[in-house]
Amino acid sequence: MSQASQGVETHGFLGEEFLTWMWFKWETEGGEFTLSGGRIVGIAIDDFLTFAALTEDETEQTLRRGSPTRTEEARTALRQGHRLRKARLLIAEGERQWTATIDAPSLTLGGVKLPEDAEECESEMDRTADRAANWLALHEIVQALYRLFLKERLTSDYQSTGAEQQANWMAR
Amino acid sequence: MAAIRKSGGVVPYFWQGKLVDPRDDEFAEHLSLQRFRTIENAASEEVSVGWITPADPTGDNFSPEDLDGGIGTWLRFRIDKKSMPMKWLQIHRDAAEKARGKKMSAKERRELKEDLMDQLLPRVLPTITLVDALLFDDRKTVLLFATSKSAKEAFTKLFFETFSIQLEPADPLQSGMRSDINDELKHTLERVNPIRWPNTTLDNAKTRAPITDMPRPAPSVVEPKVAKKPQTETSASDSSQNESPPFEVDEAAGMSAETTSTEDALEAPVEAKMEDQQ
Repeated sequence: MSQASQGVETHGFLGEEFLTWMWFKWETEGGEFTLSGGRIVGIAIDDFLTFAALTEDETEQTLRRGSPTRTEEARTALRQGHRLRKARLLIAEGERQWTATIDAPSLTLGGVKLPEDAEECESEMDRTADRAANWLALHEIVQALYRLFLKERLTSDYQSTGAEQQANWMAR
Repeated sequence: MAAIRKSGGVVPYFWQGKLVDPRDDEFAEHLSLQRFRTIENAASEEVSVGWITPADPTGDNFSPEDLDGGIGTWLRFRIDKKSMPMKWLQIHRDAAEKARGKKMSAKERRELKEDLMDQLLPRVLPTITLVDALLFDDRKTVLLFATSKSAKEAFTKLFFETFSIQLEPADPLQSGMRSDINDELKHTLERVNPIRWPNTTLDNAKTRAPITDMPRPAPSVVEPKVAKKPQTETSASDSSQNESPPFEVDEAAGMSAETTSTEDALEAPVEAKMEDQQ
């Protein structure tokens, strides 16, 4: 097997825990995160969710359109202990806003929409430079959020602290 | 030259080691050595993968200014694929069988197919897929603007052949190992197990079940490929499945989809046409 797929197979669950953690943080703390360097970003779950199956035999559940996080189906899935496998997120930093569907096991981004091109862009080259900066910023925000999650998740007392709070939220 | 896309899917990769400085002429020379080569006139089913630039789809020129992606380096590669149109094969076979009034034997079908391939393939134009990537040398990161398995495999292979550097996908393990978390946390990361969140729909008391770990999934073992037994009798549809070309095309260029998962269905409109993004 290639190394390319090994990390997804052995640690894909961490991506799912990360996505579920972001939902938890969004609902309980408003979804604002302070990243290194004092950067503040906001996230919100948008209109698309897929819950991971607990076992290989189970069916994946997808909810789309409207506000799927508020549905009874979503709450039931959380109460059953399901993690998020995919979700469409709104991510904002300052004036800039991205939407992206995160595939949790691989941390790849689908259906991304970048912020509008800056008004100063006068040429295609300017637009390319502006968009390249926005693509990189999105990637770095996701990586920074994941890093925040790991710092909490990998501590030795996680199960009795952060996980306990999240479990209570999931059981609501 | 249109600007780089502003929507779609992206797969991040990391690398270790030193890459040729993208601002140096040597970088363009490396791309040039693995440039795209046309298969327009090829008389067999084949796939060609190689670098081009956003300004020149032929792969003949690699001007450093054409690779300018602002804070990054704008890479583009081209995948051309020539394959026998199976509908034509079926039409010719149906006509031959109708003319003689009985079904063809497997051997006759094979011979007919070989004849048709010799006749038709030089006239068949390859399908073209253009895939972009943004390379950020200072961060040792490259963002690939395609999510299909075939495009990812083609890209990592081409990148390795060009720069002798193996790309690593920014999956949950690699992203953690590349982050600034301390060594102890990295050690924990390698061995961490999934949380088993309690199923509170089964609880009949006010107390919920405790949180526990569950075993971490093990990497699957790749079974050695077993040679397929040659088929003696195939239908037209069987034939098109079994003799598909060796390369899975990228959905992004509007060719056949390799999966029908929810995500792909969701992303299809934004990945359908690259030109739309530009």
